[in-house]
Formats: sequence, structure tokens, C-alpha cells
Amino acid sequence: MAVEKLSSYREPVRKSITVACDSAHAFSVFTSGIARWWPLATHSISTDRARECVIEPRVGGGVYEVRDDGERFAWGRVLAWEPPVRLVLSWHAGMPAELAQEVEVRFTPIAQGTRVDLEHRGWEALGPGAGDAHKGYNAGWESLFVKLFAAACAQPTTQPST
Amino acid sequence: MAYQATLHALADPTRRAIFEALQQEASSVGRLAEQLPVSRPAVSQHLKVLKGAGLVTERRDGARRIYGVELNGLVELRRYLDGLWDGALEAFRQEAEKKPSGRKGSRRGR
Repeated sequence: MAVEKLSSYREPVRKSITVACDSAHAFSVFTSGIARWWPLATHSISTDRARECVIEPRVGGGVYEVRDDGERFAWGRVLAWEPPVRLVLSWHAGMPAELAQEVEVRFTPIAQGTRVDLEHRGWEALGPGAGDAHKGYNAGWESLFVKLFAAACAQPTTQPST
Repeated sequence: MAYQATLHALADPTRRAIFEALQQEASSVGRLAEQLPVSRPAVSQHLKVLKGAGLVTERRDGARRIYGVELNGLVELRRYLDGLWDGALEAFRQEAEKKPSGRKGSRRGR
């Protein structure tokens, strides 16, 4: 499958913010401190029963939330762990792991502190997992989703108003 | 959440196949059942989920119901993610700027 071609269609969500602290601190708050800022009540699988969320500090580490009874719900895995510069997570919070996307976060020192660039990408992965990639059912799904998604993103209804 | 509903709907390979078929051409339950190795009742069930996720629309053509793809479902998904990260990163910024010394677990004066 022509991955280069697909990638030109996909439209990742990109966000940049500046935080007034050094990049080591920003990286640490983003990762080991994620439970202190992630909006768990609204953005979690167990919502009001979610107690905390965790990014394990190593490649292959788990990313998960913990419910009040101790049950864990996977959000993804750590794909790249490069403190204090870069973090890449696979991301499938609330969906089957085969629908994992990627979230990359970069921390760049600047005069005012740290610029944090986040990219949520990999829409073409919203298709078959490696295991069932050969099933005819799923043939064409990648390009279908990417095409539809790109078309949807191109619609003028998406307003960047804040 | 619209986002979750969208992805849940598309997580099933049969539903993806239906969604894909509808993208080629709007269709009835009967035609979909002919094209896919799935019974009519199963197709109806899947269409219900896809409709619930805002991915499929339904119109009447005489006695028949014709189903088609609704792009707004994907717009919603994109919008949800956009809002999610706006909110999450703002909360992150506030947390990161609380303790510029980088110490964890220490009490801080306000």
C-alpha cells in the first residue's frame, strides 16, 4: 500500500503551546505528572470513577488509567521516551488497540520557557491491526478512511474559534 | 462521546465493510446483505450502530430505506480531538507553571 501517498492525505491534529518553565520540568509534568492535569473526569474511560492516569517512563511502558477499584484501562504504550525532548505514545483510549493512533509531543527550549508541540496522527491506522491486515474485508479501508477523513477535515464547518 | 461512538462503530470489521460499501454507493439493507456475507437482520443492526454514531444517514425511497455515508461523523471526531487537546494542554500548562523549580510533591505557597 502506498503509505507515502496516504500520509499526504492525513490531517493530524497539531497543537503548540508555550509554558513558562524549562523543558525538563515540562517533560516531567507531562509524563510523571499527567494525573495532576489530565481532565480525567471528562476524558477517561471510567469517567467519574477514574482515579489517576499513568505514563510509564520507558519505551514499551504502559499508558493507562486506574479506576477507583484498582482496575486498569489501557490508553496506549510508550513508543519513544527521550526526556526532556520528545515523547511518542500509541493512543487508543477507549477503543480496541488495533485502532491505535500516535501522539507525539516535543519539548523545545525557548527564551520564555518551553514550546510544547503536540501532534495526534496516524488516522490511517484506524483500520485493521497487523493481525487481520490480509482479510479482504478490510481491503481499502485505510484509503477509505483517510479520504473521508481528509474530506471531512476540509469542510468549512470546522471553526478554529476559541 | 461522539469520538468514542465513531470509533466504536468503526472498530467492527463488518461495520467497516458496510461503511465502505455505502461510500461507493448509497444502498438498501437488502443490497448490502447481497454484497456482504451477512444476514439482513445483522446488516440492519450494524446500520443502527453506524447511524447512532452519526456515520450513516437514512432516507426513504418509496417503501425502501436507502442508507448513505454521513461525513459529519468524521468531522465530529476531528472536532472532539481538537477540543480535547486544547483543554488538556491548557491544564498541562497551568500545572507545569505551578512549580517552576521542578520539585515534585513539595508544598508550595500561593
